[in-house]
Amino acid sequence: MSDAGFVIAAYAVIVGGLGVYTLALWRRLRAVRGPDDEAR
Amino acid sequence: MNALRRDASVALAVARKDAIAELRGRHATVSTLFFAGIVLLLFGFALGPDADRLAAAAPGLLWLAVVFAGILAVSRLHLLETDDGALEHLALYPVSRQAIYAGKAIGGFAVMLLIAVLVLVAVGILFAVDVLGAWPALLATAVLGAAGVAAVGTFYAGITVRLRAREVMLPLLMLPVLAPLLLGAVKATAAALAGDPFGELGAWLQLLVAFDVIMIVAGAATYGYLLEDG
Amino acid sequence: MKTRILGLVALAAVIAATAVALFVVPPDQNQGDAQRIMYPHVASAWLAYLSFGVTALAGIGWLWKRDLRLDAVAHSAAEIGVMFTAFAIWGGMMWGRPVWGVFWQWEDPRLTTTALLLALYVGYLLLRRLSDDPERRATRAAIVGVIAAVDIPIVHFSVEWWRGLHQTATIGSPDRVLNPAAPMVFVGSLLGMLGAFTLAWLYLMIRRYQLARAEAAREEARRMDRIMTARTVEAAR
Repeated sequence: MSDAGFVIAAYAVIVGGLGVYTLALWRRLRAVRGPDDEAR
Repeated sequence: MNALRRDASVALAVARKDAIAELRGRHATVSTLFFAGIVLLLFGFALGPDADRLAAAAPGLLWLAVVFAGILAVSRLHLLETDDGALEHLALYPVSRQAIYAGKAIGGFAVMLLIAVLVLVAVGILFAVDVLGAWPALLATAVLGAAGVAAVGTFYAGITVRLRAREVMLPLLMLPVLAPLLLGAVKATAAALAGDPFGELGAWLQLLVAFDVIMIVAGAATYGYLLEDG
Repeated sequence: MKTRILGLVALAAVIAATAVALFVVPPDQNQGDAQRIMYPHVASAWLAYLSFGVTALAGIGWLWKRDLRLDAVAHSAAEIGVMFTAFAIWGGMMWGRPVWGVFWQWEDPRLTTTALLLALYVGYLLLRRLSDDPERRATRAAIVGVIAAVDIPIVHFSVEWWRGLHQTATIGSPDRVLNPAAPMVFVGSLLGMLGAFTLAWLYLMIRRYQLARAEAAREEARRMDRIMTARTVEAAR
């Protein structure tokens, strides 16, 4: 793999992971609070 | 001064209670020693039969066996307390929590030191390492290492003893914490066995002392909370 | 509402900092493009340490004040900290392969310390899952959190010695970027990434805390429910 490949792998997991965690957090919040809450 | 003396006598009483229970029932020590012996034997199979390689790996194998056996030992020592709610009774006595912690830790230390010394002898025999030649430094390492395992193990066993999955949780929580102790003890043992060619033995022993002191202080400070509602 | 604005700002900042780090900053003279991994790697590591500091302090706060909100803070910080620790390790490995030639460099004290950090706090989270009573869980977790925080400097110190006493050279250190001699573009890009990630951390902390409180409220409601049902059954007899 070239340097660029490692850079892409690193950013994809870190920045993508932040996004996935945020989305999962929203879903968990909505599941606990119910749909009509100001969750986001 | 008086309070200190009182604490010391409480600690000794707790330690003696554990020692008597241990001597009568021999719950922890014998099975734990047997376990450490099996671990050493399996390490031999995994890395042998090349004698040089085994001798080179001996300090690491020694301390891994001691740490693994230590987890079993502290867990057994605490299990005795919960079987009949003894720890709750202990918490009801109007004595300082630090004294109870010290007592439990001293009991654990005695068992750990016995394990460490016997495993050291076993390593000397099995892996053809000259243990007797460097015995003062090795004994110091064993004392410091045993104290560290006992100090950490006492409150971690207290945390996990009432959990459903304690057999998994105790090593899972304890082993990462013990990592610096393992590192220091292995390095000190290796330096002692090699005759300390780089003059680093003292530094590693100091690291062990620092680890022990920090963990004993942290354990004494938090064990009370554990007794209250851990 | 305010939290939502913070979230949008954090999102914009992370996108901007990523774009700068990937496309604006020139490649490093020695490390080439691999250097670009350092920005999110260092930022993740910083937030991991910040999170675990918060966990330890909030744990002490719980032992002292016995306020379950502090325990919720500790729990939130630990979970987010584990995520950032994993990011830091991943970034370090992706950087290590092209620059060092190996994914894992045992001689690098930071990498080894971070791995133990992950083990310590995954244990913390597992311990929390196994306890039912909120106050017992908080106390156990607080103690484990404090011990872990105390252990981290010893781990780092010992691993540093482990390598240092043998005088083996490490080829290039990860946060060389912080070196004062580095050109301003690199420093600016790193600071931008640190700021953006910290904003994101703050937003996630607030949301995670809200989740922890909502879960605690639900747990409490269920417990009250059970007690009430038991009482009704008792009364009906």
